[in-house]
Amino acid sequence: MSKKLSALLFALMLIVSMGTLYATGQQGEGEAKPIKFGGVWPLGDITGDQAAKAAQLVVDELNANGGLLGRPVELIVIDSELNPEKGAAAIERLATVEKVDFFVGGMSSGVHLGQIPSLKKYKKVTMWTGAASSTAEAAVGEGQDWYFHLHPWDYNQGNSYVEGWDDIAEKYSNISIDRWFLAYEEGPFGSASFAATQTLFADMEIDGEAFQSAAMGGGDYTAVLQRAKDYNPDVFIWAGYGADALPIMEQAKAVNFTPPLFIGAPPGWPSDFGDSSLAENVTLYGMWAPSISKVSAVSKKFQDAYEAKYGETPATYFAPLGYTSIEIIAKAVEQAGSVETEAVIKALKAIQYESPLGETISFSPSNVISNQGFRNQKILQWQNGSQEVIWPFAFATAEPAYPFTR
Amino acid sequence: MSSTVQKNKTWPVIFGIVGVIVIILPFFTGPYVQSIGRTVITYMILAISWDMLIRSGQLSFGLAGFFGLGSYAAVLSAVNLHFNPFVSILFAAVVAGLMAFLVGAVVLRLRGMYFAITTLALGEIFRIIIHNWTSVTGGPNGKLLPKLAFDGASIPTYAMMVVFALVIIALSEYFKRSKIHYALTAIRDNEIVAKSSGINIYKYLLIAFTVTAAIQGAAGAGFAQLYGFVTPESSFNANYTLIPLAMALLGGMYSTWGPVIGAVLLGVLGEFLKLYIPYGHLVVYGIIIILVLLFMPQGIVGMAGKLLKKGESHE
Repeated sequence: MSKKLSALLFALMLIVSMGTLYATGQQGEGEAKPIKFGGVWPLGDITGDQAAKAAQLVVDELNANGGLLGRPVELIVIDSELNPEKGAAAIERLATVEKVDFFVGGMSSGVHLGQIPSLKKYKKVTMWTGAASSTAEAAVGEGQDWYFHLHPWDYNQGNSYVEGWDDIAEKYSNISIDRWFLAYEEGPFGSASFAATQTLFADMEIDGEAFQSAAMGGGDYTAVLQRAKDYNPDVFIWAGYGADALPIMEQAKAVNFTPPLFIGAPPGWPSDFGDSSLAENVTLYGMWAPSISKVSAVSKKFQDAYEAKYGETPATYFAPLGYTSIEIIAKAVEQAGSVETEAVIKALKAIQYESPLGETISFSPSNVISNQGFRNQKILQWQNGSQEVIWPFAFATAEPAYPFTR
Repeated sequence: MSSTVQKNKTWPVIFGIVGVIVIILPFFTGPYVQSIGRTVITYMILAISWDMLIRSGQLSFGLAGFFGLGSYAAVLSAVNLHFNPFVSILFAAVVAGLMAFLVGAVVLRLRGMYFAITTLALGEIFRIIIHNWTSVTGGPNGKLLPKLAFDGASIPTYAMMVVFALVIIALSEYFKRSKIHYALTAIRDNEIVAKSSGINIYKYLLIAFTVTAAIQGAAGAGFAQLYGFVTPESSFNANYTLIPLAMALLGGMYSTWGPVIGAVLLGVLGEFLKLYIPYGHLVVYGIIIILVLLFMPQGIVGMAGKLLKKGESHE
């Protein structure tokens, strides 16, 4: 028996030791030759999945053109699992085991809050694609020159919605936006959206109610929808996650709720949402839509390359954001002629980058951090199964369909 | 007979060596492994605390509730009362323990699934209060810590968590070896018999519930001190209930070492799978847990004990 017992214990020890050694990876090996990008996205979510794929697309393009500064480029992506501890551990691994030169990635403010102490420890050039909460901005703090944030902060987004709806109401006199109802998921994202809407649209009538997102175990919106229907708003907007998109439309149909403007504001839509007849004329916010390819050559180039490589349409704006996060650093590295942190930061601060999201961006200070990239969201609308841009008018691909009908 | 005695002596020695290796190894492997180690220890502490209460037969789903409560107590005391990290962790343990004592005085009259659902609801009530008490808790956006424990340095924070784990392991072993163990086991086996034997059921359940909630609160405080923030969604996440439960079931219930082994194996396995199967690792992870529970319902420690007894009876 003692043999059996010993074998069992040694097997246990072996499993633990092997696991730890595997996890430790190739630490201690000589310096890696490629220029390494370390990405952290939630791979189980469409936003992270497509962002990571788009980031790999740039890396493949760079390598096909001889690499960067004559060196091959490598992307190592680790799944954050939408978990702050896992997200932080991923940063530690990328910094100390993989020894990456740059950090990219990001989706979810909660995960980012857990990662910020690790990012601050290593101070590598970081190009972040997610996290809209200004709490995350406060956690990064002032004077962190290595930190570049692509996604608009919550207050940036709010300001752009005000600007957008004012422009739309001015241009289309038949569209009324005086009375709003916001159904919001009860987490930080939805609650912050409601608070921001109340502040930003203070001169309008606003009411709202929270719901538990399907992504968090909820999914029954009938009470909120019924209250919204009784309120009779000009604009109904829901701020939740992709998992809420179809159920909320189905339940709105069930309670016969058809506000003149029906807006959805999740960070990512289900890829097949446009196939549903319930999607027609639903308005949405986003930084990008495939239709932008009709008005932006850079966007078209990105979309064509993505579709050719992966055989699917990039359905979320995190795809072009993921692409941007790598390409913008690559351009800065080329301009700096070095991967040295100070040189790359200097080049990034001076960059004018024509992005696949449509805009040409440069970095400038936001409320707290020094290097904020995008500041605007776009107002889009599902029309005939695809997302059309209705604002900014410079990128408009269709006229707004109004009122919302089913 | 003498050879059996000899074997029984080698068992803890080998187990001790394995334990020391597992604890010491991360000190030499860099911040990444230390980071994983800290997470494993956090879940291990939760798993042990859950097991300490289930030894009485009371199934609690309130881990995430007390974990979140402790996280907030630590951050709010550090921000508003300028407590240092260690004092804030102790304060969080006291807050969570006190809350459990007050609530336990009422809900410990419930048994089985009624108690389990009540503890689940309790966690949700804590979360909703904190979510809506914006002026104090920061509401949905949460709160930031001005300064992390040891400024977030990897080795001291890992060492802190190791010491924390050793204290909880010692406490769990004390529970196993003291008269509390006999009282809790008697309550689990047959409450009527336990009561007629003079055991104050209510008192012992209240002690177990209060102590385990204090541990869960301290674990939450440790999390907050490591990552520097609290939000209702992160701090009260259901993972802090479900994962420790899976770890304790995998390792084996009603012991200290079952949750310890379960936490190490599942923690390391989870990270290993993620790195080598980036897409679909959670599916594989889930399948492994299901298979182990199907074919080893008594857990790893239970199976090892069974093998040991079987071997002894053959000799």
